Amino acid sequence: MNEGGFEEQRREAWEEYERLVTSVEKGKPEVGVADLPRRFREVCSDLALASHRMYRGRMVDRLNALVIRGYKLLYRSRRKGSESFVRFIVADFPAVVRREWRLFWLCSALFWVPFFGMMAMAWIDLDWVQAILGPEGMAGLEAMYGGEEEQIAHLREEFGSNFMMFGHYIQNNVSIDFRIFAGGIVACLGTIFFIVYNGLAIGASAGYVTYACNPQSFWTFVAGHSSFELIGMIIAGVAGMRLGLAVLKPGRMSRGKAIAASAKRALPLIIGAAGMTVIAAFIEGFWSAQRMPAEVKYTVGISFWVLHIAYFTLLGRGASREA
Amino acid sequence: MEPAGTRLDTLQAIELAEGVEVRLRIAGPLLRGGALALDLVIQWAVILLVSFVLMIAGLMVGSLTSAGLISLLWFFIWWWYPVFFEWGKWGATPGKKIVGLRVVQTSGSPITFGQAVLRNFLRYADGMPFLGFGFAGLPTFGFALATVVATRRFQRLGDLAAGTVVVYDRLAPEPEVPAPPPIQSVAPAVALRPEEARALAAFRDRAGLWSEGRREEIADHARDLSGSRGPAGVSRLMAMAHWLKDRDRR
Repeated sequence: MNEGGFEEQRREAWEEYERLVTSVEKGKPEVGVADLPRRFREVCSDLALASHRMYRGRMVDRLNALVIRGYKLLYRSRRKGSESFVRFIVADFPAVVRREWRLFWLCSALFWVPFFGMMAMAWIDLDWVQAILGPEGMAGLEAMYGGEEEQIAHLREEFGSNFMMFGHYIQNNVSIDFRIFAGGIVACLGTIFFIVYNGLAIGASAGYVTYACNPQSFWTFVAGHSSFELIGMIIAGVAGMRLGLAVLKPGRMSRGKAIAASAKRALPLIIGAAGMTVIAAFIEGFWSAQRMPAEVKYTVGISFWVLHIAYFTLLGRGASREA
Repeated sequence: MEPAGTRLDTLQAIELAEGVEVRLRIAGPLLRGGALALDLVIQWAVILLVSFVLMIAGLMVGSLTSAGLISLLWFFIWWWYPVFFEWGKWGATPGKKIVGLRVVQTSGSPITFGQAVLRNFLRYADGMPFLGFGFAGLPTFGFALATVVATRRFQRLGDLAAGTVVVYDRLAPEPEVPAPPPIQSVAPAVALRPEEARALAAFRDRAGLWSEGRREEIADHARDLSGSRGPAGVSRLMAMAHWLKDRDRR
């Protein structure tokens, strides 16, 4: 059969297939759409035939475009249901974090060493803390934690201010997680920078407040959301380090392949970290500034830390599957 | 399949499960930069417009509530706008849609949610180095440009991590211009490999689109086959292409 005969014979099938594809693309499937997979395979074999026989570039291009359009429709990935969402929370996420325990401890150290270092500097040599916070930072801390414990609750008296702070915490804190993650691809440098920077800044604030302001007002405020926020940040760091290690140490793979492979491993980590930070924003926005006895706040804060330890050590055991 | 490293064009051959090979045309940095610029314009326009509406609404529901909503708006527009559009049915942000691009997996199928998250969150790293103000300044997208130019499939860092490529969504068919009529039909001096025969056929089909000078320039690359340069080479190649076509007819 020659080229013209082939085209003549198959033209009708192609037009019908194109009609169906167009109708599905528009979201209004027409009659005969159940045939689409079969027709798709036919067009596929037509394309294979046409390019094997080296028919005109124009015909091959047309078939190529038709196959791509059908492929796009038929292979659209299914949206996963709520079941996998629940499984992610109760099993997969803690299991993935456990699998990265080395990086988890490394990132924890990157945060807590500068944190406690700066806390200690508040007593040893306040100049360090002052250099990090700057005059505005110190003034801000004093405005919030300088006096009575009621002060933050006062600041949140106006209607809607809780919600405003919630929006701010989502915008600011989750973005920080994402930057910690993305910064990892530059050979871990971005991740390390952000975590150490946060350790220094948060440690300096905590140290300064404990030294110069009313510590009770600070610690009661942060107790509730601290576990979600700090562990979330450290896990975002783990995700970033995982990515950066692929650049530094690709092993037997090419760097591009190694990056893709470890990004797949990092994905559940950054999603989970973002989820934790969102929860932290809820607590920080709507609960942390409520007037409440300090004992209640400390109890809740400590319980959350204990729950986190239990969550990450106990859940998802036995459900070890390749992620 | 020919080794991709030696190819001059940006077609990416991908074998589907159906056993057939399709060719995707990978988009280059210039067009993608245009799509990015369009997206930035759209993102800014949405933020400004909705913020304005929220601020007016804030007079009624309380300005702090609307300030909170504006923060959330920023968060969703900057981080999640590209994720949801690329994950959705379009497979492209509005900017990409306008310039006719689409994001696909390297296997050619539409991207998953996870891939959309990875490639768009890493846009932050692709934006490096930042101008002014350290890690939060104006993104130059120097890293993105460097990796796009350095990788075979024009992938930025986010694409590498997610395993995605940006392709032309639909190629407009080339205008059909009749090729100059062949004067004679000549058998090639050597047996041609299939892809060489295909190149000759493509040369014949597309010759009508080019100026005289361009034809000669292209034909000069095949002077080993035609045995001559300039106009003589062009007509010799056309004659061979004509011969091949005649042979296929028989």
